[in-house]
Amino acid sequence: MPRLRTTSELEALRRRIRGRLKRRGSGIAICAGTACQASGANHVQRVIKRDLMERNLVERIGLRITGCQGFCEMGPFVVTEPDTVFYSKVGDGDVPRIIDAMISGTHVDDLLYQDPATGERSYRLEDIPFFAKQQRTLLGKNQHIDPIRLFHYLAEGGYESLAKALTAYTPEEIIDEIRRSGLRGRGGAGFPTAEKWEMTRRQGGGQKYVVCNADEGDPGAYMDRSILEGNPHSVIEGMAIGGLAIGATEGFVFVRHEYPLAIKHLLIALRLAREYGLLGENILGTGVDFDVNIVKSAGAFVCGEETALIKSIEGLVGEPSQRPPFPSERGISGKPTCINNVETWANVPIIIAGGAEEFARVGTSTSTGTKVFSVVGKIRNTGLVEVPMGTSIREIVYDIGGGPPHGGRIKAVQIGGPSGGCIPHWHFDLPIDYDSLTDAGAMMGSGGMIVMDDSTCVVDVAKYFMSFLKDESCGKCFTCRKGTQRMWEILDEISEGKGTLEHLDLLEELGQTVADSSMCGLGQSAANPVLSTLRHFRDEYQRHIVDKRCDAYVCASLTGAPCQAACPVGTEAWRYAALIARGDYGEAYRVIREANPFPSVCARVCDHRCEEHCRLGATGRDPLALRALKRFVTDRVDPSTYEPQRQFDPDAVGKPVAVVGAGPAGLAAAHGLSLKGYATTIFEAEDRPGGMLVSGIPAFRLPRDVLEKEINALIDDNITLRCGSVLGQDFTIESLLADGYDAVFLALGAHRCRRLGIDGEDCAGVYPSIEFLKAWNLRGESLAGGRVGVVGGGNSALDAARVALRQPGVNEVTVFYRRTRQEMPAFDEEIEGAIEEGVKLELLVSPVSLHVSEGRLTGVEFISNELGEVDASGRRQPVAKPGSKHRVPLDTLVVAIGEVAIDDATKDAVGIETRGGAVVVDKRTLATDRPGVFAGGDVATGPNTVIDAIAAGKRAAEVIDRYLRNQELRQPAEPRLPTAYVEPTEIQMGDQYEAPRVKVPTMSHSVRVHSYDEIESSLTQQEAVEEASRCLRCDLEFTRCSAKVDALRKTSGGRA
Amino acid sequence: MITFTMNGAALQVERGSTLLEAAQFYGFPIPTLCHMEGLSPYGACRLCVVEIDAKTRSRLVSSCTYPVQEGLVVRTASVRVVRTRRMILELLLASCPQSKTIQDLAAAYDVRHQRFRQEYEDCILCGRCVRVCEQQMMAKAIGFRGRGENRGIGTPFDVQSDTCRLCGACMYVCPACELRCSYAEPEKAICGGCANLSPQCVNVDKFDDIMCYMNPCVACEIVQR
Repeated sequence: MPRLRTTSELEALRRRIRGRLKRRGSGIAICAGTACQASGANHVQRVIKRDLMERNLVERIGLRITGCQGFCEMGPFVVTEPDTVFYSKVGDGDVPRIIDAMISGTHVDDLLYQDPATGERSYRLEDIPFFAKQQRTLLGKNQHIDPIRLFHYLAEGGYESLAKALTAYTPEEIIDEIRRSGLRGRGGAGFPTAEKWEMTRRQGGGQKYVVCNADEGDPGAYMDRSILEGNPHSVIEGMAIGGLAIGATEGFVFVRHEYPLAIKHLLIALRLAREYGLLGENILGTGVDFDVNIVKSAGAFVCGEETALIKSIEGLVGEPSQRPPFPSERGISGKPTCINNVETWANVPIIIAGGAEEFARVGTSTSTGTKVFSVVGKIRNTGLVEVPMGTSIREIVYDIGGGPPHGGRIKAVQIGGPSGGCIPHWHFDLPIDYDSLTDAGAMMGSGGMIVMDDSTCVVDVAKYFMSFLKDESCGKCFTCRKGTQRMWEILDEISEGKGTLEHLDLLEELGQTVADSSMCGLGQSAANPVLSTLRHFRDEYQRHIVDKRCDAYVCASLTGAPCQAACPVGTEAWRYAALIARGDYGEAYRVIREANPFPSVCARVCDHRCEEHCRLGATGRDPLALRALKRFVTDRVDPSTYEPQRQFDPDAVGKPVAVVGAGPAGLAAAHGLSLKGYATTIFEAEDRPGGMLVSGIPAFRLPRDVLEKEINALIDDNITLRCGSVLGQDFTIESLLADGYDAVFLALGAHRCRRLGIDGEDCAGVYPSIEFLKAWNLRGESLAGGRVGVVGGGNSALDAARVALRQPGVNEVTVFYRRTRQEMPAFDEEIEGAIEEGVKLELLVSPVSLHVSEGRLTGVEFISNELGEVDASGRRQPVAKPGSKHRVPLDTLVVAIGEVAIDDATKDAVGIETRGGAVVVDKRTLATDRPGVFAGGDVATGPNTVIDAIAAGKRAAEVIDRYLRNQELRQPAEPRLPTAYVEPTEIQMGDQYEAPRVKVPTMSHSVRVHSYDEIESSLTQQEAVEEASRCLRCDLEFTRCSAKVDALRKTSGGRA
Repeated sequence: MITFTMNGAALQVERGSTLLEAAQFYGFPIPTLCHMEGLSPYGACRLCVVEIDAKTRSRLVSSCTYPVQEGLVVRTASVRVVRTRRMILELLLASCPQSKTIQDLAAAYDVRHQRFRQEYEDCILCGRCVRVCEQQMMAKAIGFRGRGENRGIGTPFDVQSDTCRLCGACMYVCPACELRCSYAEPEKAICGGCANLSPQCVNVDKFDDIMCYMNPCVACEIVQR
């Protein structure tokens, strides 16, 4: 092909190419960006090619291997044309089916994109929410372009802008066009591009340079790479226009050598452009010269800073120097140099082709156009997202990004990589433009967006970025070098649990100094991650320092084994698992019982946070079945045989303490106090102890004999149990204190149901859930009959539904919940159990009115909801759909929409400060506003789990002990780390990793609907040992060393 | 000549002067470690920061590298400048407590403690030695190597340079090597030396035989002030 000598030759060529591409009609575009290549796109691409050749379809179906199209999560993916059907995660076996479908004009349904929330499949690329909500001015072109073919770019209107700039515009007019478009630097700082060009142009004649900064080094950012890989000609064209405008004849692309594909595509593009006379001397016969060379960066992060970049191009050490002079005055070899980011250059041809006004119409008044973000981290749709400036973070994260991947809660977004800042979720309505972000303490940066959820620790994130920066700081200026190093040191100490509160102030002071006095942008922005996380998540830092807790279970020195750290009572779950694997069940029981006075109860009804945070689960497999293992152990030991360790203090013996409520919290507190020697009296309103365990939880989940045995084992000679005494009726807090009790622990639980607040709620057939459950559990009364509805999505709703199902005269049971199943607060296993038994779920509905006839319920009017914005709880709010009211005939309605501890009726009887239906206590000491009166469990937290109540009871015993000894109630916290060493059992390498999680044996659902017997049964010995052997033994990291020291001590006679 | 404002006074200097030169000419003290007459400005120690009022909001720049511009408003000892210098001195003390030069500067800015993990480094990487070797001795025998916290001064592969004439200029210009105190090193102390003995060494007969080459011993003055 000869060089193009005039612009009309270019246009003629373009027409020919377009005609040829049009004749072919259908085609397959496969994304082969670096991310898709990593997930196997190259192989799929070869299979497609072979398949097309074998079937002799090459002429009919074109194959286009494109650069990154952005939806990296779904790679490798293909788009078939002309109807743009999007097939995700394509394997090589799927290729023939796709081609068959193309020929027959149908779809391969199972490969289509499926919406994870609704399960709906989208046929066309444009219908997928990820694409539909973007405005893909830059990235959209990648789909139509094979980056190694110039013709594809020409067919898309490529080099049209260059031709226009060469023939129709003077340099001043080009700069003016850019100025009117409002384009600002996409590299991060947002300097107006036209102003930079103008400054460089003003520097008089002589040699000048333009540079494309493709030294993209932010962790998690890869939009520049994708543009260079997918559409290199757009960058070249932009640079040529820029060169023309400022009077430069030479350009450089400064690109990381870690981007081999980008370099390859760029080199091919440069060669083609030169061959066709679009670069080099006398471009398109206009007499203008311009050429571009590539400089490969060695990968130092600081070389993205423009003065360091210039040094690097000159062949010197890549260290920044103080500005002024600015590169536009003195740059490469002292000549004026204009440096712009890849994305900025790629926007230039779009502005020239479409006009400045068209470009400025998108975005906000001060930040125009679109911006590409790479959305990575804890997000469902990882990939590149292009949106107009001014789009809110919420839209990017939830609407396009699809929200958190595993039902977590998104906590914050780190924008702009290590130089940027952390934006917390309560600022997600912030529009993304240069000025709003700067005001919020972040910066646009190159556009990396790292999403963090509650399994991300902000201290760890700050530490990571600081570790990155201290390594990447060039070290020339003192504050950046030492400042980043010292900040990292302090953060490291905090994450190790050695931090102090003074450290936080020092961090802020130091961060401010580093930001103020560093030489280049790296140092000036280095403190941003620390300062912004400190500003928004100071409480999380304090939690590390004061409570020695890392709530994300990331900081190893504070977490130890996550199972143990996650347990409110600190059960050494790893330890009993290890002991089961060794066959030492007696010791395993002791380990469980030492931490938890209700082992058999918790083996059945605990919400097992230990499993939630199990590393096996976090590494992509199923977590260890710790609750089932605990059940296995507790089933083999009678609770009465366990002898707890008593620590009698002569001063304490006989001192009277009153505990109000014999639920898990009250019993645990009484037990703890009894072990210390206090004479404890428990006042219980019902006729038997157990609280919610007996009145709320049905027997098929927690058999009564098991519960009774466990409670009886706890009540010893030191404890007096007084059933049938009600606070406010039979006694008051004053009377208890007057009767000589030295301290009072309130553990009343939360027994008062919230009301629906609609008319007719008091009619026959409508019951609050607690009343309904108590009637059944305590008195054996069946209140339900006919068609039963339960409103609510918590555990008591599901319990009520399952109880109702077992009552005589019940035809069907339906649970009505106002959000979707994902948002249901009940445990998954309860929901599944209920569904298995035949309970129906009716989601996204709220009751609006009751139909009552002759004082009895006949039906309920519901309105349908849809999910709206995310609320403060991190869940999406239900919003009623107008005109969707419908009537459901019901004979019984159980209202289970939450309970409170104290309502207006009981408030006065309690006589201490309450808020939102719960007693106000100091979370760490459980002290109420009255000295000597403590409160814990549901009465202080609202409806909560059994294990939290037990933990509160245990804590109350300790705190009351300290109170009665006149000691300081608050004690410095210590991290709960594994201490005891349990020799690991030998396993065959690989076995442990292959084995799936054990399935807990359950009664078949057809039998259990008619039975009140326990549903779950125990594991067999073999199952238990096998399951226990799956444990990763996170504890060994902490205990193995000390075990070695002990062994050494033994051998060396204690002198090690 | 260029007219500008420094600490409220309208002043004139020759075109091409730096802010540091201007301040020194007019007698405003600005501390610096990396700057040295006869060597190119480097801007590494950041102690010489001053506050300038740019168009929108004020910012700190290193005065040794910043050229005086027409109409520039400069403050050499504003609250922000002093706060920054004090933090820099604290960082310097945390890394290089034995240097008398640094001790003196810290004393002048009333920095008595540092709150970081104490290090005992010999070098603050001000780069004076590298520049004197290259620009005055025309040898280029030593240079920087490494990056970030691993940055150091030396020769490639630690092989002695052929061009080194052992002239000693590098040591002569070093602000950290100069008069280095080598006494006991209790943590979190300014120099770790005699000043932190209690009672102070100078007041006690027992220490009579100690030959203090730091005469007068400024470390003691820091505490006595």
